[in-house]
This record gives sequence, C-alpha cells and structure tokens, in this order.
Amino acid sequence: MPLARIGQFLYRRAENVLAILLVVMFLAFMAQIIFRYFLNFPIGWTSELTVITWLWLVLWGAAFVLREDEEIRFDLIYGAVGPGVRRVMTIVFSVVLLVIYLFSYPAVLDYVTFMKVQATAYMKIRFDLLFSIYLFFAAAVIVRYAWLLWGAIRGRDRRRRDPEQAGSGL
Amino acid sequence: MSLADPFALCLFAIIALSLLGLPIGHAMIAGSIVYLYLAGLDMGTAAEQLLNGMYTSYILLAVPLFILSAEIMNTGSMTERLLRFCNTLVGRFRGGLALVNVVQSIIFAGMSGSAIADAAGVGKMMQKMMTHGGRYPASFAAALTAATAVIGPIIPPSIPVVLYALVSDASIGYLFLGGMVPGLLMGLLQMVLVVWRARRRNFPVEDPVPLRQIPGITIRAFPALMMPVVLLGGIYSGFTTPTEAAAIAAAYAFLISALLYRTVTFRSTYQTLLSSARTTASIGMLIAGALVFNYVVTVENIPRTLSAFLQGFDLTPTMFLIIVNILLLVLGCLLEGTTIILIVIPVLIPTAQALGVDLVHFGIVCVVNIMIGLITPPYGLLLFIMTNIGQVSLRALVRDILPFLYAMLASLALITFFPDLVLFLPRMLGYQG
Repeated sequence: MPLARIGQFLYRRAENVLAILLVVMFLAFMAQIIFRYFLNFPIGWTSELTVITWLWLVLWGAAFVLREDEEIRFDLIYGAVGPGVRRVMTIVFSVVLLVIYLFSYPAVLDYVTFMKVQATAYMKIRFDLLFSIYLFFAAAVIVRYAWLLWGAIRGRDRRRRDPEQAGSGL
Repeated sequence: MSLADPFALCLFAIIALSLLGLPIGHAMIAGSIVYLYLAGLDMGTAAEQLLNGMYTSYILLAVPLFILSAEIMNTGSMTERLLRFCNTLVGRFRGGLALVNVVQSIIFAGMSGSAIADAAGVGKMMQKMMTHGGRYPASFAAALTAATAVIGPIIPPSIPVVLYALVSDASIGYLFLGGMVPGLLMGLLQMVLVVWRARRRNFPVEDPVPLRQIPGITIRAFPALMMPVVLLGGIYSGFTTPTEAAAIAAAYAFLISALLYRTVTFRSTYQTLLSSARTTASIGMLIAGALVFNYVVTVENIPRTLSAFLQGFDLTPTMFLIIVNILLLVLGCLLEGTTIILIVIPVLIPTAQALGVDLVHFGIVCVVNIMIGLITPPYGLLLFIMTNIGQVSLRALVRDILPFLYAMLASLALITFFPDLVLFLPRMLGYQG
C-alpha cells in the first residue's frame, strides 16, 4: 500500500530531524564551551541556539515522532480496563481535547503572528518564525486526536504500553 | 472556591482528562485553556507561557544532556568493564553478585541521572548475570535491581534534581552535593541487607579474581570511573555551569566509548541519539504542560494561600516535613514522579520557605520521596520495568522488594530528621543555607 509506505518514509524523516536537533544542541554546547573557556572568546549565539533546539525538539517530537505508548499518562485506570471501556475513554478525551485545541487555535495563531514584532538577541530570528513550531504542534495534535477518535469509534483498541520504553527521565 | 469557579473547573478538567488516560501534558494544557477562557483571559496565553517558559529555562537543557549521557554510558562494553571492576571489589563475598549490583548502582549513579535508564541498561545486564544458571531467584534479582536503581538520581547527577531546581530556584550545584551522603547511606543500607539475606538464603559466591588481574581490570575500567570526576569537577571548580557540565559528560562518555572502547558505530550512535531525543520530547511535554498550568496556579495565588492556611496550624518545620513525606509517598504510589515534582512541589515551596526549611534539604527529601515512589505499587515505573525484564510477577517482585523499601524509608526518616546529613557537604563547600 503506497500510502502506508509514504507514511513510513515521512515518519523516518521526522525521526531524522529529531535526532539532528539533539546533535545541533550538543554541538552548540561544545562550541560554547570551547569558545568561552579555551579561546577566551565568549559567544552568545550558541546559548540562543541551544534553547531554540530544545524548544523545537520537544514540540517537534511530541507532534510528529512520539507514539501513543511513549507519552507520560496516568495508566492506572487506562491500562487496567478492558478494551471496550478504553475505547469509550479514548473517545471522550479525544473529543474534549479536539474541542479545546480547535477552539483556542485562532487565539494561538494570533499570539504567534503577533510575535513578529520581536527578534532574538543574537541571531535576529523573528519570534513568529521561532514560535511557529507551536502552530505545527497544535495542528498535528488535532490531526492525531481526530485519527485516534476515528479509530476508537471504528473499534480499534490501542496497544499496551511497553514499560521499558517508559518515556520518563526519572 | 465555588464549583463554578474557573480554577475549580480547570482542576477538574485536568484530573478528569488524566484519569481518562489523556497524556498528562495535554491534560494540563487543555485544562489551563479552559481556565483562561472562563476567566476571560486571552487563550493565546497558554501558548505564550509554554513557548516563553521553554525558551527561557536554560537550566532545563541539562535534562536532554543527562538523558543522552546516561544512554551512552548504558550501552556496550562500558557497562561490562565496570561490572567486571565491581566484581573484583565485592564478588568474592557471600552474595557476591548481589553486592556487585549495589556497588555498580552507586558507581552508575555518579554518571547517570536517571533510574529508569539505569534499570533498562545496566540493570538488565545485572538481571541476566544474577539469574544465569539459577544462581539467584529471578524475583530477588529483579527486586534488588529496582531498589539499587533508585540510588541513581539521588547521587549526582540527577534529572529530578534539575527539575526541582527549576521549580525552586535552589542551586543545582549545592543540591547535587546534598544528595551525595543520602545516596551513599541508602547504598550502605542495601549492602547490609544483602549481606544479611545472603547468609540466610545461602547465596552463591563468585570465583575470586586472581590478584595479578586486578590492575588490568581497574585500568580498563578507569576512564569510565573518571566520569563523575569530569562531571562534578567541572561544576564545583566553577569551570562550567551545571548545564555545560552535562554536555561535557555526554561528550566524555561518547569519546571514551568511541576511542577507547571502540564500540561506537554510526547506527548505534543514531539509535542512542534518537532514543534520548524521544525521551526528551516525552518528558518535555510534561514540562511544557506544567509551565502552562503553573502560570494558572500563580495567577490564582494558590501557593501563598496554602502557605497562609498552613501557618494557621502552628506547624513546626519537622511536622511540615512529615506531612510532606506522607503526602509524597502516597502520591508516589499513584502518579508519575515528574508530575509530582513539577506540579505538587511548587505549591509546597512557599510554605517550606515560610517555616524556615532549607530549600536544598527540602529538595533532597522530596527527590528521595519521588524515587521511592518508583518502587511502590500500584504505580511504580521501576516495578513495571523489572517485571518486564525479569519476567516475574508483580506480586513476587513486590514481596522481595519490601525489605529494601523499608530500608529506604528508614533512610528517608534519617535525612528528614537530621538535615545535616544533607547539608553537611554543601556547607563544607560554601553553601550559606
């Protein structure tokens, strides 16, 4: 099925981007340390770059890469109930989330576009471009939960969580 | 607070959505948007708080870097060399491998800031070694591995401590120092327990390592053993900020596994990066949600209100800490620890300050509580991981973990009632608290 293969291809590329963001963050730190301590020449754009990659990494990852079973949730009930009840729970929270995210989307769009009046201190990146990741993120969440809702209505139960993949940094 | 109050409805929405199984980060963002709407505020504020909060929390960058260095340390021959080194130290005693498990966790605690990463990495290896040929009962091995992993984030570096530093503004450097003695204390208690059980259950002894092999094994493990020195040395000499030290630690771990241990391929590096980035995104979503919700909590002035309310009871600092311990232990049985640090602890901090509880002491007490929460049923992430790795039932695992749980509660009581156990090291290095 070509559609599924295109999906797989895009998913791999989204993973590539996520890994690259982490590499850029790491390299920016290295550059910062080398310039400040070894060359005695502090540069500001590296710390700016590191926080930008952090922001994008989290929102990009949450929007396009994280699977349902990797997100941190309260599993005590959700994991214990039968597939039928879990479907109903999925339908309820998907609808609520969709309503809230869709309803607030114009206000979010307003905020992000308004931020074009400012730019970052060193690299002079306009904040509306920098923060645009949130628009993609919110849109991706809306699509994702619409998809989950559709699946739950049609009777698909979600995979159980693999505990070794627990996405917690604790 | 009436039932139609925007904050009450926001709280209700968050709790209800979380109970239904929506990821907690989204539940907090959604609930906060409900609040903004009902309170007549701009709903775009949710995005504003999230984006600005993430963009200005430079300290949080230590989180992905610590995750990355833990992942690098937990792969391949680095772990093997360290385990061999631990085996030369304590393998020859009764219950040798069980002691190795405790010692490795103390050494790994100095390199990685994540108990989950330790259990899934080196813990998995320990489990295999301990159960190989039926040397130890699988449930005991799994219980021990879960219990020793708990030490990881108490001894620096530590991801939960970074998160606590974010919400409390306490110094990461002093917090890291403060965790040192409590972590070692817990390790010591675990060793005593292992020795005692080893006698009763007649656990096996490992073949003693011949004397002339010891220098070789030590040299092979040496670069990995230097990791805590690189990391903590950077912070305490003032050479680097804690965040930069986390980056250096990751670089160091990568360099020694690539150059000395030669275990790095492009493929394995990519997998390590990707898996670290995924964990970062997952925990980052929770942080993002907490940033939005904490804005609501601040607008509503909840922490101050609670502080004023509690002061009406004439609490002593000790009584307050006991209440906090009970509260956090109960919550730890039910909730994921990051959520507790980011949501519950900020509400308690003003009261702690008003009562004169030192914030470094308070932080370590909280983190120990959170870590104990990882091994308390029904919801304990380390329990879930070890039932999976060890292929044991939760019931058997919990039965074998109980003695270790009691030992940890005893350590928690000690550090609660004797703040000096936490504060002695930071003060020696200039902490004014």
